[in-house]
Amino acid sequence: MGNKKIGFEVLLFLAVFTIATCGLVYELVAGTLASYLLGDSVKQFSFIIGVYLFSMGVGSYFSKFINRNLLNTFVDIEILVGLIGGLSSVILFVLFESVYYFQFILYLLVFITGCLVGLEIPLLMNILKDRVTFKDLVSNVFTFDYIGALLASILFPLVLVPKLGIMKTSLFFGMINVSIAIVLCFMLKKDLKNPGLLKAKAIFSFLLLLIVFVFSESILSYSEGKLYGENIIYTHTTSYQRIVLTHNKNDYRLYLNNNLQFSSKDEYRYHEALVHPVMSMANKVDNVLVLGGGDGLAVREILKYDEVNHVTLVDLDEGMTELFKTNTVLSDFNKHSLTNSKVTVINSDAYIWLKECKQKFDVVIIDFPDPSNYSLGKLYSLNFYKTLNKVLTDDAITVIQTTSPFFAPKSFWCINKTAAQVFPVTDAYHVYVPSFGEWGYTIAARSLSTPLGSAKRRVQGLRFYDYDYSRLNDFPKDMRVNDIEINRLDNQILVRYFDEEWGRL
Amino acid sequence: MKNGEDYSSSRRTFLKSLGALAVGAAFIQSCAKKIKSIALRLTGTSHILGHRLWAKDFPNATKQLSVPVLIVGGGITGLSAARQLCRRGFNDFLLVELEDHTGGNSSNGENAYSKYPLGAHYLPLPNFHDKELISFLEEENIITGYDNAGYPVFDEEQLTFSPQERLFYKNTWQEGLIPRYGTSEKTIAEFDRFFKLMEGFKSQKGNDGKYSFDLPIENGSLDTKNEELDAVTMQQWLTDNGFTTEEVFEYVDYCCRDDFGLGIKYVSAWAGIHYFAARKHNGGEANKEGVLTWPEGNARLASHLKKYALNKTLVNHIVFEVIPVDDKVVVKAFDAQAKQTIDIIANKVIMATPQFVNGYIFKERKPLVKAFNYAPWLLATLTLSDLPDDFGQPLSWDNVIYKGEGVGYIYDQHQSLKQVHQKKVITYYHVFSCKDIVAKRKEIYGKRKEYWKEFVLNDIKKAHPGIEDFTEDITIHILGHGMISPVPGFIFGEARKQASSVIENKIFFAHSDLSGISVFEEAFHQGINAANKLINETALD
Repeated sequence: MGNKKIGFEVLLFLAVFTIATCGLVYELVAGTLASYLLGDSVKQFSFIIGVYLFSMGVGSYFSKFINRNLLNTFVDIEILVGLIGGLSSVILFVLFESVYYFQFILYLLVFITGCLVGLEIPLLMNILKDRVTFKDLVSNVFTFDYIGALLASILFPLVLVPKLGIMKTSLFFGMINVSIAIVLCFMLKKDLKNPGLLKAKAIFSFLLLLIVFVFSESILSYSEGKLYGENIIYTHTTSYQRIVLTHNKNDYRLYLNNNLQFSSKDEYRYHEALVHPVMSMANKVDNVLVLGGGDGLAVREILKYDEVNHVTLVDLDEGMTELFKTNTVLSDFNKHSLTNSKVTVINSDAYIWLKECKQKFDVVIIDFPDPSNYSLGKLYSLNFYKTLNKVLTDDAITVIQTTSPFFAPKSFWCINKTAAQVFPVTDAYHVYVPSFGEWGYTIAARSLSTPLGSAKRRVQGLRFYDYDYSRLNDFPKDMRVNDIEINRLDNQILVRYFDEEWGRL
Repeated sequence: MKNGEDYSSSRRTFLKSLGALAVGAAFIQSCAKKIKSIALRLTGTSHILGHRLWAKDFPNATKQLSVPVLIVGGGITGLSAARQLCRRGFNDFLLVELEDHTGGNSSNGENAYSKYPLGAHYLPLPNFHDKELISFLEEENIITGYDNAGYPVFDEEQLTFSPQERLFYKNTWQEGLIPRYGTSEKTIAEFDRFFKLMEGFKSQKGNDGKYSFDLPIENGSLDTKNEELDAVTMQQWLTDNGFTTEEVFEYVDYCCRDDFGLGIKYVSAWAGIHYFAARKHNGGEANKEGVLTWPEGNARLASHLKKYALNKTLVNHIVFEVIPVDDKVVVKAFDAQAKQTIDIIANKVIMATPQFVNGYIFKERKPLVKAFNYAPWLLATLTLSDLPDDFGQPLSWDNVIYKGEGVGYIYDQHQSLKQVHQKKVITYYHVFSCKDIVAKRKEIYGKRKEYWKEFVLNDIKKAHPGIEDFTEDITIHILGHGMISPVPGFIFGEARKQASSVIENKIFFAHSDLSGISVFEEAFHQGINAANKLINETALD
């Protein structure tokens, strides 16, 4: 009899220990996930710890209303904590991006877990109060509680997150939690009412957690799909970037390193506006250079002019240009422009290539990624435009994609002003591309005798541009700014503007 | 290209954190791997050949040649002297150098991915009144023109690209070398006060109307107003002026170690202040900050100067005796490759050699040398497959670890216009700031390359845990006598003057150690001045 009594207590203390460990792990998981997904780790951790402790208090308070079937309730709670806590990270991962009330769900989960853990301790004390002297009881319960907490807080950053990852950690501890419940069911079946049902519940929960644990990798990739909100039909990682193509109804979207490159629904607006103003204004369009634009969509527009003899496209990423040459969906988009006999594709760093370039071009179309880091910022520097100037014929015109004048007016006018240091004639214009928002370009001519505006040549069949340039270069007040510095290699002010402006969104 | 408008900040953070997870995962994985082998090399100045000066066990001369002017030493001073001789029409000269290349402390190495410095690696923007230096920079298209106000316009590609500097402080990188975040109001106030004091010294002029602190030092005021600053250490001066915060001491110590090879405990306050006060940044609004730099460091400047000594340079020649004979000077040089000694008979000689070498060549100068302290330097160039970093301020040109053992590392490819680098090449700098640098130097030469590998990695690890797993190659370069260190009493002392004195109007001395500060500007002017003096003396003859 004595042995059994000790067994009973030890089991329950073990349960306390597990609950404390698991409870803290769930709290840490929530904190870590919240800081990963929402940023500001100090705030997230602070709020989550606060909510967790508070909800434990709430749980403790409600424990006094539980007077019957104490042991059954205890095991029930144990199962529930394991299930909710264990699945919490999966729920959060999957729901992020698809719900606006993500934070609500986050704190709800923390609150429920906290409440349940808060219920456990007083409940346990009630169960044991007749079997153990009060002094020992309090001391033992809290000892195990705090040891568990210590163990969790040490294991979490050092072993669990590095070895298992966030999702598997919470699932793993959910399983531990539930397995304690299973052990309790078997060991204490005499003390429990209806142990069969409890067993079934516990085993079912355990299996559920186990299945999710096994499939957690694919859940993660599903949540990546959720991140895009569209069906991913193709992914490809080149040496330089991750290319993701998604398909939703009749819209294809291409993402490069998770930034939207184009949407098949409205890319014609962007590319017609990029290409046709310069192509129509230039004195000559014999020899055209495209920098960036490895998707071949700008080249597709250029080739609409029969006068064009040769197009040179310089794009860093061979993986990208090969893909747009060979993939049937993608080469349908660019009308096989990259394999056209007039087109030469060069996979090279544009800056270095320009430095060494001996040719001269009549039109240059620059379609670089936005200046979101210091490497890309170099491609918008004063020195870059000086370098570019050397490959232009005397009356050449160039156009530069210049990010959004609405979201990033400082960045927009910084690029414009920098180009204006080198080119005697510059102008700016913008168009609305639904998938991007307001988007803008800088146009620059090398000679004062090249007037910007009048179309010298036109092609039929454009969907957006009607060769009325004057409708594009008017900027309302909210897209204008003053006091902008020039972007130089030694100040990279553009990257700072860009970060400030896009970071604010 | 473009970022779509639905590029929300939460998504951005999420992606960033996915990146962080990926980096973390890679890190954990790499930890599990066995430590892979790192290619390791140890190089340095030819101290073995140099040490033969002690015994002078060289064979008798078997060859003789005559030349009007001989320059001994092919560092910046010697090369600058060569340039000045050419500019003034003295084209008949010869330059001899102990190493297998000229350039001295402004030399460089190169691997498959980048050039990298083997010594000095940048030139601060010159003072506007330093016309000699400005005209040199203009000759070499480093200055591309002048703005409307007449101030120089520097070539954008040769100015340090942004971001220039970052500091690893309290476990994260922040921009600049002065901690701005995570520090106390008091610290910030002390920094402000410190820089205000330095501004005062910057504009201070002596009774002769010259700047108290100028570059070259020789052009500064000759009055003795600031002599007492040369009697105390920089640390003492900071304490005497009521500075208490660790950050200020650390920062000033870093600056002193970086420019003088010794920290605030050992260099004079005059020198410490000179670091902050001599560069006036008076070349126009656009040139208030920034420095000129190149992947190969100041080897770029050396290569511009080298063309003046083209086909007039003998490398691998160690000069071990210089004797005035009648109206000539006989210079004995050992050709380390042909293993023979030659007598070079010259009318005039410029000794562009450091004084610790001159002490062996000119016996009577041996006692003078004791006053010259040379700090040893260690440079380590690492080729990395990746540079694990936190998500603070991104990799910059100059990366300094707060309270690190070394003085940080330079990202050698920073001045590249390329978007992507397959491998990253960084050069880590270390000085051995201590009381007994002679003993330290001996200790340094006794260590094996494996020791240095651990030594370097352990320091960089403070900011880049796991760096060893990304390191593919380390080249350690040791400079036993890296630079002159201006300890108290040296700048205003007699040794500098005596060591600079001309012998019989025939042997001229020029070296940055004679000015007391080892920077390009000093060496450059030392060379010009020696050449001018020599030409003037020749005209008198």
